Amino acid sequence: MRNVRSAQVTKVLGAVLIIVAAFGACRKDDPESPTPEPPGTGPTSPVVFDINAVPYAQLSTYNFFQGPMADQQPSYGVLPFEPISTLFTDYAKKKRFVWMPSGVKAQYAADGALLDFADGTVLIKNFYYDNVQPGGDRRIIETRLMFRRNGAWEFADYVWNAEQTEATFDLVGSNTAVEWVDDNSVARSIDYRIPSHAECATCHKSYSQPVPIGTKPQNLNGDFAYEDGSMNQLAKWELMGYLESGFPSGINTVVDYHDVTQDLEMRVRSYVDINCAHCHADGGHCDYRPMRFAFGATIDPVNLGVCVEPDDPIDPSQTHIVSRGNTARSMMYYRINSNDEAVRMPLFGRTIIHEEAVDMIGEWIDGLSPPCP
Amino acid sequence: MKRLLLATTTVLGTLAAMAQNSCATAYTVTAGTYTITLVDGTEPPTLVCTGGPTAAHAEWYRYTPAADHSLTITTDLPANVGRDTRFHVYTGGCAALACVGGDDDGGSGYLSTASLNVTQGVTYLIAFDDRWEDDGFQFRLIEEEPVEELVGFHSEPISTSGYSICVVDMNGDHLDDVVSVGANNIRIHHQQAGGGFVQTDISTTTADNTPSWSLAAGDIDGNGFNDLMYGGGGGVTFMMADATGTAFTEVSFPEYVFCQRTNMVDINNDGALDAFSCHDVDANVFYLNDGNGALTFNQGGFGPTCGNYGSVWVDYDNDGDVDLFVAKCGCDPEDILYRNNGDGTFTDVAPSLGLNDTHQSWSSAWGDYDNDGDMDVVIGSSSSGYHKVMRNNGDGTFTDVNTGSGFDLFTGQSIEWNTRDFNNDGYLDVIGAGALMMGNGDMTFTMTTIQPSNGPIGDLNNDGFLDILNGSTVHYNNGNENHWVTVNTVGTTSNVNGIGARVQVTSALGTQIREVRSGDGFEFMSSLNSHFGLGADTEIDEIVVYWPSGIVNVVHTAEVNSTVTIVEGVFEGIADEVYSPALAVFPNPVQQVLNVSAEKALGNAPVTVHEVSGKLVLSGTLQNGRLDVSGLVPGVYVLQVISEDGNLRTRFTKQ
Repeated sequence: MRNVRSAQVTKVLGAVLIIVAAFGACRKDDPESPTPEPPGTGPTSPVVFDINAVPYAQLSTYNFFQGPMADQQPSYGVLPFEPISTLFTDYAKKKRFVWMPSGVKAQYAADGALLDFADGTVLIKNFYYDNVQPGGDRRIIETRLMFRRNGAWEFADYVWNAEQTEATFDLVGSNTAVEWVDDNSVARSIDYRIPSHAECATCHKSYSQPVPIGTKPQNLNGDFAYEDGSMNQLAKWELMGYLESGFPSGINTVVDYHDVTQDLEMRVRSYVDINCAHCHADGGHCDYRPMRFAFGATIDPVNLGVCVEPDDPIDPSQTHIVSRGNTARSMMYYRINSNDEAVRMPLFGRTIIHEEAVDMIGEWIDGLSPPCP
Repeated sequence: MKRLLLATTTVLGTLAAMAQNSCATAYTVTAGTYTITLVDGTEPPTLVCTGGPTAAHAEWYRYTPAADHSLTITTDLPANVGRDTRFHVYTGGCAALACVGGDDDGGSGYLSTASLNVTQGVTYLIAFDDRWEDDGFQFRLIEEEPVEELVGFHSEPISTSGYSICVVDMNGDHLDDVVSVGANNIRIHHQQAGGGFVQTDISTTTADNTPSWSLAAGDIDGNGFNDLMYGGGGGVTFMMADATGTAFTEVSFPEYVFCQRTNMVDINNDGALDAFSCHDVDANVFYLNDGNGALTFNQGGFGPTCGNYGSVWVDYDNDGDVDLFVAKCGCDPEDILYRNNGDGTFTDVAPSLGLNDTHQSWSSAWGDYDNDGDMDVVIGSSSSGYHKVMRNNGDGTFTDVNTGSGFDLFTGQSIEWNTRDFNNDGYLDVIGAGALMMGNGDMTFTMTTIQPSNGPIGDLNNDGFLDILNGSTVHYNNGNENHWVTVNTVGTTSNVNGIGARVQVTSALGTQIREVRSGDGFEFMSSLNSHFGLGADTEIDEIVVYWPSGIVNVVHTAEVNSTVTIVEGVFEGIADEVYSPALAVFPNPVQQVLNVSAEKALGNAPVTVHEVSGKLVLSGTLQNGRLDVSGLVPGVYVLQVISEDGNLRTRFTKQ
């Protein structure tokens, strides 16, 4: 093993291959995956995670990544994953990873419920932009962690330095200007928001308790292009020893809302699940409004707001949350199409309009009939 | 191509096509039913009476009643099922359109209907636009007997820019101005003494935070020009006006605050205006003034949890200092009331007073709805919940009087609830959820609908009737025969705006109270002038201002239908009095006997004791500087001594 530090908690895997992400967006100079250890000998994760000492002051202390940290190459035991439908965050790109200490694994609870994770579990999420101007480089902005200690989730956030060599703990929150050229060659400029603890907790909470959002079977039950080939993520987690076997095979699964070959309503339901349901669900920040956007709930159009009158329209002409066939009278459309911070939805995590989502939801509303009574 | 058919009468013959494509070519109509085949007139109205954006096309009609009527204009007709219409009604002629009515969705489905009183001989212009669709439809004009209007408005455009959420005097002339704010601009429409506005744009640095959630105003540095507080989604920015009111300096704080209601108020009663912001996702924050206009960030002590939406600084217990009520929603919806203990500490007393409701509320309307000298409250619901009407019993407790109040039957929901007297009848009304709940003076309310929605409130034509700003439209109150008085407060020892002062006006209909507040309702900043309706009363017995400093001004010379400016601690006339702190009482609070002294011995001077509401409870003489108050019920009282140096007043608390 390389660079094995004095890990207070180590991960020993009795199984298979080392897993490294293979993202389509990876640059050509991404290093090769580490050499697989032979089965049975049990490679040891180099991750440093003393549950009594975290969060560390520096991201590098955890040893989540091997080689230059900016290459985002996960250390052994740090497993990349991606929800099938993803949260929009001002077009930021993301790499997500999960790490667990030795001997623990997550349990399946329900298709639409968070996996039941053990203490010591860490969820890692890098936020970055490519083609950042003027140099056209990648810029990793922050690495957000959620880790579980004493049966509860806690937050940490690490802000990367300009040299992209280190990231420093910061839960005060700050803004940073980002100018980049996106994948469609559109030049964009935003004042990117790095969240404070209170902002983290606003989305990541259920009945005031911090919780993750994306790590539900419904969001993970899809293939991921691992370094050694594509595989269903739940199966990979099981293989890694990160998920208890015996979970159901027929999981009610979201679709990738980017995938235009999928059913439009399924795309919309998948979108609002991952982008909106953390607030608009029982115990969420805005659970006092009538919408219930979780994927399992939106099988009922009423929970999507279809023909539901808003409590208090911003403009009285917004007669319904979703007015069938009529975007101009649909409060949902109005809010996702606004940048005014007192109007826009989602409230957090975006300062610019997610144009593809507006188009998709507009198309869906336009296609609904008959008009609301 | 369109046709216009008169379906119910036979007066008209063939109509010229395109005749109604512009205001100037509006087609004359009378009562009856008409058909529009296509909305394609190329002059859409730029003044939108219904709220919402302008449209691309319109059809124009002209209506001049032969007698006074209640006119109903409606597209809510069987032939129009499935159609989506909108119309606007104007007076003033094409060159000076003024909204007097209009509707978008008042009918069934998306059809429109509105009724308004029309006056014989006045020409009304009606424009149907294609905000929603070009498709044709029928409309009908129905004339009926005029109906008594509880309160009415007409509207005119004003060229605001950005966040148009503030009506307050900005230059010290006590005429309310219109303030609209962008990220790097403050546009002030200064109201002129002779009527109308002069627009001034003042560039600013690009504000770190814009007032997307709320705005508050007040003179933090005491230089005579009001400063602005922007409550943004990520923090607070202050724009400090310079000594000439012609430039602003940005003071932004780096701390993350998900602002909701913002206020300016002297929290620690040191004479300098502080500031406060509700925090949606964390404990509330406040900014203390060092006395020179420099603010420091503070957090904690005013609600430890999230879900803080609508703060009002109100003296609920009549002890002369400001308390804090916060209407709450979301993650911790239990409302809080922090009682000012008078010693710099605050205690949440909402649970013990029955004010800790867990309904979802973004704001509350505090006012003395029954004119008995204390602040009652309507806590309005924002989401599928009940409203709460609580009568202040005058002893620091409240009684739930929702049942039968009118709010028990009113299901409208709103994030915005506020109170003023809009019809000048001497009883406070409540505005919210598209309705005006007209106060009957006895904790009951009568619902009426009005054209404007919630917005900043002030007197924008200085006529003594309160107007409402909605975006780029000023809704002017039509007024009525009732009388009024407006009291402007100028602090000297207290903050210069007199924020936190209690203003009390007594006339034949009773004693009314107001508090000078920067920031009420949820989002908007409304006038700092204290407005009172006086009904038919033609005389004002007394105006009393209780300043945060403890100083009391009393004015006996005010005339109805006038504006009175009261300067803290300054005599305005021979009949006026002012309390000098030289009048000392001890112990205070008192249980049995009050010792009263001044510069000259008071001996057996005549005294009166009034409740804060103005009600006389004791009259007699001192006994060698002592007064037995053991018979008074606990509460706050005003003591008046007729001394050799004139009338002296102070307040004391009976335990």
